[in-house]
Amino acid sequence: MTDRQENLLLVLPGLLLLAVAFFVPIAQMLVLAFQGPEGPTLDHFRRFLGDEFYLGVLWRTVKLSTLITFWCLIIGFPLAYIMARVGPRARLWLVVMVILPLMTSVVIRTFGWMVVLSRSGLIPSTLRDFGLVGRSFSLMHTEAAIVIGMVQVLLPFMALSILGVMLRIDPRLEEAARTMGCGFLQAVRTVVFPLAVPGIVAGSLLVFTLSASSFITPNLLGGPRVQVLAASIYRQVTQTLDWNFAAAQAVILFAGVLLVLIPYIRLARRADG
Amino acid sequence: MVRAVPTPLRILAWVFVGLCAVFLLGPLVVVVGVSLSESRFVAFPPNGLSLQWYQRVLASDAYLAAGWLSLRVAVLVTISATLLGGAAAVAIHRRKLPGSEAMGAFFLSPLVLPTIIYAIGMLMLWSMLFGPVSVPVLWLAHTVIASPYVVRTTLAVLADSDPFLEEAAATMGAGRMQRLLLVVLPQCTPGLAAGAFFAFNVSFDEAVLSLFLRRPGMTTLPVQIYSELEFSPDPSVAAVSTIMILITIALILIIDRIVGVQKVASS
Repeated sequence: MTDRQENLLLVLPGLLLLAVAFFVPIAQMLVLAFQGPEGPTLDHFRRFLGDEFYLGVLWRTVKLSTLITFWCLIIGFPLAYIMARVGPRARLWLVVMVILPLMTSVVIRTFGWMVVLSRSGLIPSTLRDFGLVGRSFSLMHTEAAIVIGMVQVLLPFMALSILGVMLRIDPRLEEAARTMGCGFLQAVRTVVFPLAVPGIVAGSLLVFTLSASSFITPNLLGGPRVQVLAASIYRQVTQTLDWNFAAAQAVILFAGVLLVLIPYIRLARRADG
Repeated sequence: MVRAVPTPLRILAWVFVGLCAVFLLGPLVVVVGVSLSESRFVAFPPNGLSLQWYQRVLASDAYLAAGWLSLRVAVLVTISATLLGGAAAVAIHRRKLPGSEAMGAFFLSPLVLPTIIYAIGMLMLWSMLFGPVSVPVLWLAHTVIASPYVVRTTLAVLADSDPFLEEAAATMGAGRMQRLLLVVLPQCTPGLAAGAFFAFNVSFDEAVLSLFLRRPGMTTLPVQIYSELEFSPDPSVAAVSTIMILITIALILIIDRIVGVQKVASS
């Protein structure tokens, strides 16, 4: 046996698994999206793009994903900066604080938000006590609930993406800027931020694709009336059983995600090299 | 030396970290709180304290069946993902095969592609070929999305290993099998072990694939929780969730012991 054969033997089972159980199913889905009763067709796409309801769903998906990405960035950047600059002990605690929710099932985290956001929950009742909102105020089944829940679900991805890049920035650069008369915030703005851009962009693209494709949190917090694209796909598959139409919607999601993912993969590769 | 960070900003930073902690960990604390409630209403802070919902869970056939299924699938996935991912990582690390670089990206692709797209494809393909879904399809699908974690942790550990050990073993007359088992395997062990625990966690907590690939009588724990949440949850859902949170905490502690949580987090 040669070295080459040994390496092939090691890598082959995994390659086969991915080819057969990952790429073939995705190809199958792509095929189904263009399949009609009489041969290939674009009918499913026409149906989607010609229906105001589905266009509304698509628009809501893009809008909410943008909002979620924005908030993750606003919270994630300072959090990652603090994580990168504190001592090793404090950093360990902060990493655990980020990873524990990340590794907990999404359904469980969403459950927590359902309890807090419901009519009698902690947040609406506090707002009511301060007289800020009316008596029938509830956050459940609103777009705001989806954004709050999803930001919590996806913030760890953003913070860790930025942290990965931030830890590789030489702290002496920031020190040099300070010695030369930069204020703290100025140094962050002109030195740290530009150097962290790869992490910021990569994190944002990742958070955007993940939020565009999630349905568990939007379904539970938004309810049936506030639908997003992924929730609509889930509904087609499990309730109306219109698989071709579901596949077409998945292709639209897939196309949107690819548009975002290609720059992500390029950036990730550059960050590694 | 410049004065590092102005004191007001320093205070502000710690307030910010505190708020982040409440935001990130709050939902989990709420779930744990609800599970201890005495009344049958889901409310936080809980009314009274009791462990009755845990007893309720341990006596519930639905939860026990779901838990047993989740556990079986997660153990199977841990074994298959660790074997396949670990072997692939060793070969990729050696960079002797053409296209090793591309292969690395290929193996990590299930991490980047949204799970819902994969889930719907898997459901359609399986139904067309084999009919109704079964445990093997869940095993297969979870292995696909869990093995990238093993590839990643194993590659991370191998990156710090000594590349000449294997050569030295070969010079001293070790055969292929001996080199793999006595030199390479021990070098990989921390990565493999961390990857294995990650794989278990991914499978055990996974909900998207399991929601698509389910049928009556085959629901995993997260799916069972999801269905309860869609209707009218009582505190027993919180009790099950709390048990799952505790398992996650245990896994994090184990992974931290083996390779260090920070190393995994920033790679």
